[in-house]
Amino acid sequence: MVNIALELLASCTGCEISILDLHEELVDVLEQADLVYAPILMDVKEIPENIDIAIVSGSVRNEENKERLEEIREKAKTVIAYGTCACYGGITCMADLYSPEDVSARSFKDNPSTESSAEPSEVVPKLLPIVHPAGDLALIDYYLPGCPPKEYLVKDILVPLINGEEPIVPKKSVCADCERTMEHVEFDKIHRRVEGTPDPDLCFLSQGYICMGSATLGRCGALCSSAGVPCHGCGGPSMDILREPNHDVYNCIVNRISHISKMPHKDVEKQIYDIGHVVYGFVIGSTIMENKKVSLIPQLIKK
Amino acid sequence: MKQIEISPVSRIEGHAKITVQLDDAGNVSDAHFHVMEIRGFEKFLEGAAVEEAPRITPRICGVCQTAHHVVSAKATDAVFGLEPPETGKKLRELSLLGQYIHSHALHFYFLGGPDLVLGPDADPAERNVVGIIKKNPDLAKMAIKTRKIGQEITTVVGGKPIHPVTSIPGGQSKVLTSGERDALLPKVQEGIGLVETGLEVAKPLFENYANEIESLGPIESYFGGLTNDGALELYDGPMKIIDKNGGAVSEFDTSNYLDYIEEKVQPWSYMKFPYLKQIGFPEGNYRVGPLARLNIADSVNTERASALFGEFKDNFGMAQNPLLYHYARLVELMYCVERSIQLLEDDSITSTDIRTNLSEPLMSVADAKSSDKKMRGVGVIEAPRGTLFHDYETDGAGIIQRANLIVASGQNNLSMDIGVRETAKAMIKGDEVSEGLKNRLEMIVRAYDPCLSCATHMINGESSMMLDIHDSDGYLIKRQLI
Repeated sequence: MVNIALELLASCTGCEISILDLHEELVDVLEQADLVYAPILMDVKEIPENIDIAIVSGSVRNEENKERLEEIREKAKTVIAYGTCACYGGITCMADLYSPEDVSARSFKDNPSTESSAEPSEVVPKLLPIVHPAGDLALIDYYLPGCPPKEYLVKDILVPLINGEEPIVPKKSVCADCERTMEHVEFDKIHRRVEGTPDPDLCFLSQGYICMGSATLGRCGALCSSAGVPCHGCGGPSMDILREPNHDVYNCIVNRISHISKMPHKDVEKQIYDIGHVVYGFVIGSTIMENKKVSLIPQLIKK
Repeated sequence: MKQIEISPVSRIEGHAKITVQLDDAGNVSDAHFHVMEIRGFEKFLEGAAVEEAPRITPRICGVCQTAHHVVSAKATDAVFGLEPPETGKKLRELSLLGQYIHSHALHFYFLGGPDLVLGPDADPAERNVVGIIKKNPDLAKMAIKTRKIGQEITTVVGGKPIHPVTSIPGGQSKVLTSGERDALLPKVQEGIGLVETGLEVAKPLFENYANEIESLGPIESYFGGLTNDGALELYDGPMKIIDKNGGAVSEFDTSNYLDYIEEKVQPWSYMKFPYLKQIGFPEGNYRVGPLARLNIADSVNTERASALFGEFKDNFGMAQNPLLYHYARLVELMYCVERSIQLLEDDSITSTDIRTNLSEPLMSVADAKSSDKKMRGVGVIEAPRGTLFHDYETDGAGIIQRANLIVASGQNNLSMDIGVRETAKAMIKGDEVSEGLKNRLEMIVRAYDPCLSCATHMINGESSMMLDIHDSDGYLIKRQLI
């Protein structure tokens, strides 16, 4: 029987919960494969040899995350980078907007509710100078972004892999699934997402709100836009951005807003706020995204 | 001197380690519970537009994500001075209840429960949810169904089952339609029977493991949690502190939490140690979460949970033993199902008046740089694991300048640490320690259902396919595939 391991690096555990969210179908998947290692669910303490499929979630924040990733890569035939943190760094990489010293100081030295102290240093692993997506530090066989990936994908990916087949997954952007109507509407002001009540049927971009849907890989069913909030890019970059060296999440959004509103590019750029969190939030740690010539990531991160 | 290490502590959210030091005579000289990771949300929220915080902070924890989402929205209400309409608040409470049902069911059946259902000394390869699926498939299916109710509530009310999005400054972004309500209500109603069946399985276990309840992680502490005129409360209210005998110590408006709670840093853990400021460290150690909430509450406002609460009080009084957290969690699970039904049956839950908007335009980011205007908002709720604080300070444009978070599990950190040490001292003699005994130390930690995040272990693996870039101090900056 095919055996499966789950390894969690610097992450929130939401990826593992998405696997449990198969609910009753989880029982069917577990009948087809052996779960041999998963510290969140079971007490096997050492990573076993000869893993068939390792599902790795999270980014690499400290030395031990890195060592764990390297060990499981060695021991597994197939490694899936599961979730946006493992693929592109995800929200954990927002820490790259600051130095690790500043990150640590805010918690231990300069914090309103904390007696100022040196940072912990006994037994605990050292932080790396920057946070890395798992995919930047190890060879990955399959990238499956999503924050977390939708539960149905686990089945759509795992079942074929268990049976030795190539999984087929959708490749469209979030806009493809969004039911809102995109219209050309001339405007000259970009709104903060806290301003006003958005029209429920009209595209967020047409209303002057920053929505990342056109630059983001779909598969989520555009759940956020149907729940009344713009996409914030948790699925990682769209296939178009991944394939085209001169396409980047930032310039795609600027172009799209400019195209819809007839605002000149430079006016759009002047008004886009908080680029680090709002535009690059989920991909700021990604070498793939940073290495694009048009990327603003090198200007934003502290090394 | 020898050291026993349990790494990683398993069946908890995130990774941690337990170390036990033995002296030359083989007696335990010291022991600690280590939390191995920090991701630094407090720092990297700086510079973010504060309305983004409710969508960034759920990523602190994928198990209690809705709790972070809702408390963050509450903090942003306070930043902008917005009071959500009643239905907005009720929808937030409903999504929080969905959070509890998912989280408490996850913990009892999938994480901590296998120690009791299959026994602390069961084969470690089978002492888990997969073992339960194999040995007792009916119980496993019931567990899955119970947790699913919580995720369905969160999906409908929060927009997504994991990392919901609908709580925004001033209320909610999505109404609950009457069609959605009518489809959801019967599913939640099924939860009553499911929790009752769960209790039938669980109650005898607490009798069977009376010795473990008594001996694992012994501690007496203060307790803290929100109250609503003495009733169990999860969404809003003042925070009450009681002493180990149940006597009231203080009750305060949560926006003043800095006057009452302070955190200590210890060198062996990335997780801080909060304590009662007016009493000091470590005497002011207090606990939060299900056990604390039942100890603090005088009553529970739903029928079945109220009866269970009475039974719990009769049996355990002021409960101190950590394993009773499991029991308290099940009482709360019933409360959450019943309270969800109450809210779904309330006609106002489908009202379209769900958000309050800003009454005047926001200051621009550029103008805020030359203005002295500051805003601050504190949000506090009861998360499944205990009282959760988000505190944001912003400039006039609502850009975060400083964020402070006190998460639920931190407040149980010292009790986990002391509990592990005291139990190790009482039970370990010499370095031949059985797996079952090590597991008992982990059971103390699991009882508190801590939410952590990290990874451990060591091995070197190099690949010729990699290009490593180091800085002048030798730190790896980037590794690229070539």
